[in-house]
Amino acid sequence: MRLPALSGGSRPPAGTPRLSDETASDLIQRVAQHDRAAFRALYALTAPKLAGVLTRMLKDRSEVEDAMQEVYVRIWQRAGQFSADRGSAMGWLVAVARNLALDRLRARPPQGARLAGEDPLALIPDPAVGVEARLAAAGQARRILGCLDEQEPDRAEALRGAYLVGLSYQDLAERHGIPLNTMRTWLRRGLQRLRECLER
Amino acid sequence: MSPADPPDDADDLLAAEYVLGVLDARARRDAARRAEVDGAFAARVRDWEARLSPLNAAYPEVALPDLLLRIEARLFPARPRRRWVWAAGGVLAAGLALAVVLWPQPVPQARLVAGELVVSVRLQAGLLDLRRSGPSAGEDRDYQLWAIGADGVPRSLGLLRGESLTVPTDLQPGVTLAISLEPLGGAPGALPTGPVLASAVLGPG
Repeated sequence: MRLPALSGGSRPPAGTPRLSDETASDLIQRVAQHDRAAFRALYALTAPKLAGVLTRMLKDRSEVEDAMQEVYVRIWQRAGQFSADRGSAMGWLVAVARNLALDRLRARPPQGARLAGEDPLALIPDPAVGVEARLAAAGQARRILGCLDEQEPDRAEALRGAYLVGLSYQDLAERHGIPLNTMRTWLRRGLQRLRECLER
Repeated sequence: MSPADPPDDADDLLAAEYVLGVLDARARRDAARRAEVDGAFAARVRDWEARLSPLNAAYPEVALPDLLLRIEARLFPARPRRRWVWAAGGVLAAGLALAVVLWPQPVPQARLVAGELVVSVRLQAGLLDLRRSGPSAGEDRDYQLWAIGADGVPRSLGLLRGESLTVPTDLQPGVTLAISLEPLGGAPGALPTGPVLASAVLGPG
């Protein structure tokens, strides 16, 4: 299987080879056997993408570099937990990076002041159109985008913002100017609808 | 949630919220621990990861400085350099070996991080020095520290109750340290029973 698009809006750094999910899966399984050459290859092939995940979520450059090191330490340590028949290899790697970024974001002090000063969603260039154009190739991707389109635009944007930049319920409630519990109920309904739509 | 929803819908929504990333620090930590011990919940988490993963394509690729050497230094401390020194041979080797001995040795250390819980470990003069910040284990729980050597078998280093702990040890850099959440008094047997919250390799400083 070929990944639909490893790159996002910005061009991949020159010379970054394309990576098939089968290759990534094979490399992770060799890393689980403590194969250091496989680890180096996996780093070379996946670092730009995982750096993209961490940059979008953590923003601060020095924290991104520190987090990158921790992500690959985790990948080395947890490679044995990856199972190729349970999902895509790239998906597993991105999940490791997202989980680490989310742990760090939640450990930060409350961010009301920061959110007032900048708009995290502004860092996603044109979320609706941009994401769609990049994903147009993959059937599965079309489905989730179709399902997001069935939601009210506000709710679809909140779901994207939460997933891509790591906004919490608290952040979202502040952005939308509604109480935390209202936000929680509103977004949960969105998640239920998303699941129903994807299972249709 | 309507009455027609299956009774385990709350679990599925929690898994969705966890993967989406909207939970606060405490709820997130609880969900992560649950995913480590509850297979059904872990499967729901994987399902949501798969459902939302097409959005990953929206992450751009970003060029960073090459961090591989720093990562490898954390994972595989020290040994290759010494081997190289011995292989060099002759007077040069003796000189280099002396330099290695006289060069200030970095203090092996590790950081175990699980959300707000951070345990910093330093190995100095045969003593393992641990400092904890973040939440305590809770009323009927204890944090337990483990060392996992080359044989893959965890050995208990003791309970971490206060904010700091010093234990004499013969551990060497390169050993993996792990913290698990155990019942009060620690794991009843020789192996961890609770979720492993964090692990890290004891590496050069």
